[in-house]
Amino acid sequence: MMRRFFAPLLALGLVLAGNAQAQDTLSPLHFQSDGPLGGIDKAAAQRGFLVYQTVCAACHAASALHYRDLEALGLTSDQAAGVAAGVKLADGSAATLDSPFKAPAMPASAFGGAVPPDLSSIAAQRPGGAQYIYALLTGYTTAPDGVTMLPGHFYNKAFPGGQVAMPPVLRDNAVTYADGTPATQSQEAADVAEFLTWAADPNLGTRHQIGLRAVIFFTLLSIVAIAARRGGGG
Amino acid sequence: MIKELKPLSSLAALLGLLTASGLVLAVYYNPWHAFASLGFIEREVNEGWLVQAYHATGTTLLFGLAYLFLFRAMLARGYRAPDDLAWALGVKLLAVLLLAGWLGFVLTGGAAAYWALVRAANGALALSGAAGAIGMWFFGGPAGEGTLARLALFHAVLGVAALAVLAAAYRRLKPKMSPGVCLDHLARFAVLALIFSVLAFFFPHLGQPAVNALPGDPLTLPLGTALPWYLLPLAGIADALPGAWGGIIGVVGAVAVLAALPWLDGSGPEAVRSRWYGVLTWVWGLDVIALGITATARDCPQASLLLALFALWYFFHFLVLVPLVTAMEAK
Amino acid sequence: MAETAATEASGPGTESRRGFLTIFTGAAATVAAGSIVWPLLDALNPDAPSEAQARMIVNVADIPENTAKTVQWDGLPIYIRKLTAQQIAAAQAVVTGTLPDPADFAARVNPAYPDYVVVVGLNTGITCALEGNSPADPRGDYDGWLCPCDGSQYDVLGRVRSGPATRNLVIPRFTFINAAQIRLG
Ligand code: HEC
Repeated sequence: MMRRFFAPLLALGLVLAGNAQAQDTLSPLHFQSDGPLGGIDKAAAQRGFLVYQTVCAACHAASALHYRDLEALGLTSDQAAGVAAGVKLADGSAATLDSPFKAPAMPASAFGGAVPPDLSSIAAQRPGGAQYIYALLTGYTTAPDGVTMLPGHFYNKAFPGGQVAMPPVLRDNAVTYADGTPATQSQEAADVAEFLTWAADPNLGTRHQIGLRAVIFFTLLSIVAIAARRGGGG
Repeated sequence: MIKELKPLSSLAALLGLLTASGLVLAVYYNPWHAFASLGFIEREVNEGWLVQAYHATGTTLLFGLAYLFLFRAMLARGYRAPDDLAWALGVKLLAVLLLAGWLGFVLTGGAAAYWALVRAANGALALSGAAGAIGMWFFGGPAGEGTLARLALFHAVLGVAALAVLAAAYRRLKPKMSPGVCLDHLARFAVLALIFSVLAFFFPHLGQPAVNALPGDPLTLPLGTALPWYLLPLAGIADALPGAWGGIIGVVGAVAVLAALPWLDGSGPEAVRSRWYGVLTWVWGLDVIALGITATARDCPQASLLLALFALWYFFHFLVLVPLVTAMEAK
Repeated sequence: MAETAATEASGPGTESRRGFLTIFTGAAATVAAGSIVWPLLDALNPDAPSEAQARMIVNVADIPENTAKTVQWDGLPIYIRKLTAQQIAAAQAVVTGTLPDPADFAARVNPAYPDYVVVVGLNTGITCALEGNSPADPRGDYDGWLCPCDGSQYDVLGRVRSGPATRNLVIPRFTFINAAQIRLG
């Protein structure tokens, strides 16, 4: 009952959230979080959260994240609480703002020994970060001739070794974006990659902002201090 | 004399920053869940990511400066009287910092750190006699639960020891304070802070092996485990010599020859600047860099041969070339 | 730049410029030192989970009517009870002037969510956890809570109705986040 009550709230939360503006991130593929001064694209990361929540969370945990952390993506406290209230935990109670992201329902043994890794820091733990995640999620093809597939594995050109135990999970319209962005497979992949980049380094934007200010400030201070020293004959 | 003071104040500032940030980290650090507790600091503690960046970048800058100052002193032959005491303190400081740096890296509990610890602990425990007993005492048995608790303590003690060495240097040098000197320091600190900001905010993981972003796991040894940049040359020398004893002798020897430099230099105090000595010292500097780079590529087939060559040159420089060139020059 | 400073070093304007530079540098350095030290101090403020614990969020949507849920907060047992429509009507009908510790309906519940009563579940006489959270518990004559230690009785809003206690149950600081969750503290 509560879930039905809050499902619209969840969608609403993702529409209303902040001043996050939907932008084209696909042609060409780029991530706002890339580069020395990059920051998180909150609109993309919010959409990515929806993808994570609807698709990835079935198999992957992200236990370092809490629903309250979503406020950093531009959701208000009420909206984040609404999202949490829509999540049924294993013991039957609803999640709260302070609950860690719900653990997956899928038993880890379901994939023949390949355990779905916790995604909290995955973007920092794989070379290539967001680019790799995007490539992985869109990299499923038919195996080239002469490759014998292991049982329960799928051919993926981005995965080291080519054979991954994760099935292709993204398809067009796997989710419905509240901001009207067409939910193509590659859009979903790019958005969830941006979301996971934020998850792995929630301080990225702040770090770059403070950093820029610090560099400007200390450049000026260095110049002035050196000038003062020269002037002082020291 | 004032020349030695300038680097000293930068070193002191960095060591102060490391002590302050280390104290804050110690409040939240949990040696039984090291990796998770660092994640906690980064995500859940106010400004925790910045405190962590202070500690990591502070370490990088401290080693950068220490290496630079020692190299500059070597070039200028600043290890001879009247600066021989300053040189001795400098080498002592380096030794303390190297051990503290290794411990600090191991404390992160990442995959690279975990395997560095396992390798060192297993090596130490395999030794026989007194060395084995010391190793046993130091690591408290094979690397496992609780090992990091003691290493955290040793890390902190060594931090205090580094402060003590620096204090001793200050007492020796008896710096004079004047407005001119103050402004001078301020200018240095400002430039230092500028470099620090660039590194801390834009390259927070500079010089750390990338696999350390993964938690240490006894069941998986990821490719590319390595040490942070400031330990690489020494690691190269340790790897070049066989066995645990080889590693220990390599590391201790590499620092010992630095300390012995005043005696290895055969020329008198009034000897003129020697071109050959300068050239050789630069070559030695490149050799140290080559050692470090090769140590990151340990898995390559040619690495062990190259490491042996570079390590050989390191000692050849101090034990043969320096005495030879300086003695020739003294005539 | 250095050269200008050197050649002008004896000129009359230099003194004030040098003074200005020194003061400016000193002030900027103080700001810098402050902003470097600030994160170290702020890091010792409560971390996010401690902050969250101090302002705990409780789900109330899953509380059945006529039942109370207990949560531990700030070292106190907090009782959150969901009232039935009859209980609300009955509680509103009570003439407050006759009570030992007069308090009207609006003073005891949030008018926007009148069916939830949130109280500290400790008797106000001798300190003792109250009984009556489950409909099966003894609740005394007023359908609220009963103290097993001294026999004090409270009504559904936590108002004391018979002694020895003389004060109503304490209401902790809390706010409704939405219809399903409240935040304590
Ligand atoms: C049906 C279950 C399932 C779903 C749904 C799922 N995954 Fe996976 N995932 C796995 C498994 C199993 C692995 C381990 C693969 C392996 O090691 O071969 C994995 C591995 C991964 C990896 C690590 C790959 C590597 O380099 O080791 C990433 C990244 C990942 N998944 C991202 C995602 C994202 C993003 C989503 C949501 C769009 C998602 N997964 C949805 C089962 C799933």
